[in-house]
Amino acid sequence: METLILDLKKQIIEALNLEDITPDDIDTNAPLFVEGLGLDSIDALELIVLMEKQYGIKLEDPGKSKEIFKSIATMAEYIEKHRTK
Amino acid sequence: MKKITSYCRITDTAVILNGNARDIPFSGEPGPVRLTEIYRSLETAYPKFHKMDNLSKAGFLASEMVLREAGYDMETPDGTVSLVFANSSSSLDDDIKFQHTIEKDNYFPSPAVFVYTLPNIVTGEIAIRNRILGETSFFILREFDAEKMQIFAEWAFASPGIGHVLCGWAEYLDGHCDVLVMMVERESPDGLDFTTLNIHKLYFDQHGNFDFRP
Repeated sequence: METLILDLKKQIIEALNLEDITPDDIDTNAPLFVEGLGLDSIDALELIVLMEKQYGIKLEDPGKSKEIFKSIATMAEYIEKHRTK
Repeated sequence: MKKITSYCRITDTAVILNGNARDIPFSGEPGPVRLTEIYRSLETAYPKFHKMDNLSKAGFLASEMVLREAGYDMETPDGTVSLVFANSSSSLDDDIKFQHTIEKDNYFPSPAVFVYTLPNIVTGEIAIRNRILGETSFFILREFDAEKMQIFAEWAFASPGIGHVLCGWAEYLDGHCDVLVMMVERESPDGLDFTTLNIHKLYFDQHGNFDFRP
């Protein structure tokens, strides 16, 4: 799980162009949106693409997104259970 | 006579602000990295810059320098400023980037790239950053045309209450940057006359040789 969390942080930094931020700067349990990294709605769409591209996960139910993208920890947990690659 | 009270020119080889070449230590070849180097030289904190496409970055940087030089208050919403920009390649630089995300064997359309597949997004970025509430427009021309630039800016001044027009040419394609941004004021005792000839001179001075006295 630790490796997955680190990979995920690196992938998010690259996908969202978070300049000057390192994986160590991202609190695994902090909120990703509004607070924490302060991501916006376009970033949310980019995270959905990242999940499919990197882990083969298609998020069919938008209602679940809020829970999945709550933090790096919740994302990693979901990926661990549902990844196809 | 309307006056150009501040201007910035960004090319592959120089950054010129009000007739003076800025001494920015570039690390290598022209391209996206150079835009980031210009951004860092401004010592400003605007993380959204890094999410912009190259065209928006180029227009943003020139506007940032011009508005700073003009002492513009970016904290107060302002309906007296209008934005008028133009270029010749529209958003092609980002369009190509987006196309790479929708290739047949690698189909992952990027929302963050897609949102910049319109050239007028650069005017939106500048307006948001500086709380500019006047009209904005973006024209696609065959090539840089000082006469049309002047006509477009005059149209903007025709709208009620407009006292300033931030206008210019913002071109970025395939690693090459070609930007001229001018602050034009309706009533100013100082500055350069806002004429086609002067716009032409500012555009073609690529080495900071033009004697600009705001």
